[in-house]
Amino acid sequence: MTCVPLLLGQMDQLVRSPLCWGIVLGATSLWLLLSGGSETLRGIGKLLGAISLLMLTATLMIVGDWSSQLVFWVLALITTGGAAAAITARSPVYTAIWFAVSLLGTAGLFLFQGAQFLGVATVVVYAGAIVVTFLFVLMLAQPEGHAPYDRISWSTFAVPTALVGAAAVIALVLTSLDGLRSSEPLTSPPQIATSQQHMAELGGHLFAYHLVSIEVIGTLLMVALVGAIAIVLHGRKSRPETAPDHPSRPTTDAGLPGGTP
Amino acid sequence: MIEALVKIAILLGGLMTAAAYFVLLERRMAAWIQDRVGPNRVGIPLTKIRVLGLGQPLADGVKFITKEEYTPAHVDKRLYVLAPIVILVAALATFAVIPFGSMIPATVFGYRLAEKPIELVVAPGANVGMIYVFALSSIAVYGVILGGWASNNKYSFLGALRSSAQLIAYELPLGLGLLGVVLASGSMDLGVIIGSQASSGIWFAIAQPLGFCVFVVAAFAEAARLPFDLPECEQELVGGYHTEYSGIKLLLFLVAEFLHMIAASFLIVILFLGGWHFWGLTGGSAEIDGWGLAWSGAPWLQGLLRIVVLMTKITLVIVGFMIIRWSWPRFRFDQLMALAWKVMLPLGLINFVAVAMMQQLQAVFTGAMGPSWLMVPIAWGVAVAAWLGITWAAPMIADNRPRRELDPWEIDSQI
Repeated sequence: MTCVPLLLGQMDQLVRSPLCWGIVLGATSLWLLLSGGSETLRGIGKLLGAISLLMLTATLMIVGDWSSQLVFWVLALITTGGAAAAITARSPVYTAIWFAVSLLGTAGLFLFQGAQFLGVATVVVYAGAIVVTFLFVLMLAQPEGHAPYDRISWSTFAVPTALVGAAAVIALVLTSLDGLRSSEPLTSPPQIATSQQHMAELGGHLFAYHLVSIEVIGTLLMVALVGAIAIVLHGRKSRPETAPDHPSRPTTDAGLPGGTP
Repeated sequence: MIEALVKIAILLGGLMTAAAYFVLLERRMAAWIQDRVGPNRVGIPLTKIRVLGLGQPLADGVKFITKEEYTPAHVDKRLYVLAPIVILVAALATFAVIPFGSMIPATVFGYRLAEKPIELVVAPGANVGMIYVFALSSIAVYGVILGGWASNNKYSFLGALRSSAQLIAYELPLGLGLLGVVLASGSMDLGVIIGSQASSGIWFAIAQPLGFCVFVVAAFAEAARLPFDLPECEQELVGGYHTEYSGIKLLLFLVAEFLHMIAASFLIVILFLGGWHFWGLTGGSAEIDGWGLAWSGAPWLQGLLRIVVLMTKITLVIVGFMIIRWSWPRFRFDQLMALAWKVMLPLGLINFVAVAMMQQLQAVFTGAMGPSWLMVPIAWGVAVAAWLGITWAAPMIADNRPRRELDPWEIDSQI
């Protein structure tokens, strides 16, 4: 409990920092967007979100040169904005699409750091396979997105708790960024990223030091696949017993279905 | 920086022009196959001069742009606009890692262009090359799904579902056909793959015939060309996922489709048909080395020749695409899926295992990697055996008239 007087002592500093207000505004905006109120409330929520983003941007600092910093900010904006939109969108289809946008931003951040394989694999696996499967299911279900029971999970307790937790994490990360201001900026990406044989080295490392893990993961996926097939086969076997007998159509002598005149 | 921008500009301009003129070529080929004349009227604008109908793409473009761009009232507007953009962006961005030539020497006619030889690819040395292409082709699926869903129309939606099922199913054999090449050349970088074929003089189509077959069939399906154009099967689905689109948005979809075909041709040529390499013409080194007596003083001629060879091969493959399109009937959907899962997938696996074993044996006995003439007859033997095995194990049934009473679950399994 020593932190409380410390906090009180720094209160005026806290009140003056854009970081604090940015986080508070962001949390309020998310709360307005999530609570499923009217369109006016959602509009206010979006406005507050934009303001909070501006305030948070004001606290960021330049590390390295301008152009790369700009690229980073754009990618970070896409990622976080996509994530926020994904949890606040009302139609599940839009949620899936914003999720994909957020993943693309993440992949961009990976690429920007020189992790070519990680970036591209994120797109292939998450955006290309998993979110597409989500979209398939959501679209086949033809959701309207306004069903009241969709909102049950956003109860009065869960939303504020989640928001406060998220705000705390963001505050921690952003304040710890202060350490970067004093230290030297990174001038060159790590060596493996710039290597001409990026993929080969990554593959060599994976299959030399993590061979067992890879085999285990492969086996796990295989078991899941076999299980899925087993469930399908089981469903098929039981179906003819439950299905009522269908009247047999008239057939010709050759067994072909044919019209008896 | 400027170098990259110039390359991007050349690529975009070239691709768009190429797409426009390939449409004309396609229409002329269709006419030729169907014994018609085809579009031959539009020549130089504002004159009466016809030049084999070469003005047709311009007229088509103007028509598409000036047409009323009708947005139906029942669509989801944002996604409706987003879909064609996504699909075109994905189709264009694919070309960032695809080389469109070998190199241009740093000095041409005594004029210094750059510090070092210019590699003719927008993102040179992209180590993930092929996975990047896969990533973007999976992004293109979004354009199709969103277009079909946002149109809020049963035909569009069915088309989108079919299309995405097809694209996802055929990505697997595409990857398996490719893996053999990656294994033998030891890289995902398309430039390195060409280099490995050029230095050994063995194209991967010769060294891995089975992989070539699997890849070509899967590439046709990925490009959604006949006999795989289920997404827009006219007599069943009107226009498939772009039924509700008109004007410039429809144009974006159609251009993206052509770009997919061009990308598929590039990949077929680069991965399996040697890229810019041709025996006795272009030299075997990845560098511009002034190979051959006549060119020792003119390395730029060698660079130019490589571009010409690559473009000739690509045009031939595209013409092949078109001839197949206009002379083959379309698959039925169950045949399409059976081909992917029962034929192409096992063949791809066999090819991959065979290539891995041959590479390992070669590495053990000769200590060398990469393709070698010794392995070619074995590979062809494997291909023939696998093909016969598949025709025996999973014959394609074209005559699906019911021969006996089917149980309901059997009918379910065919749908």
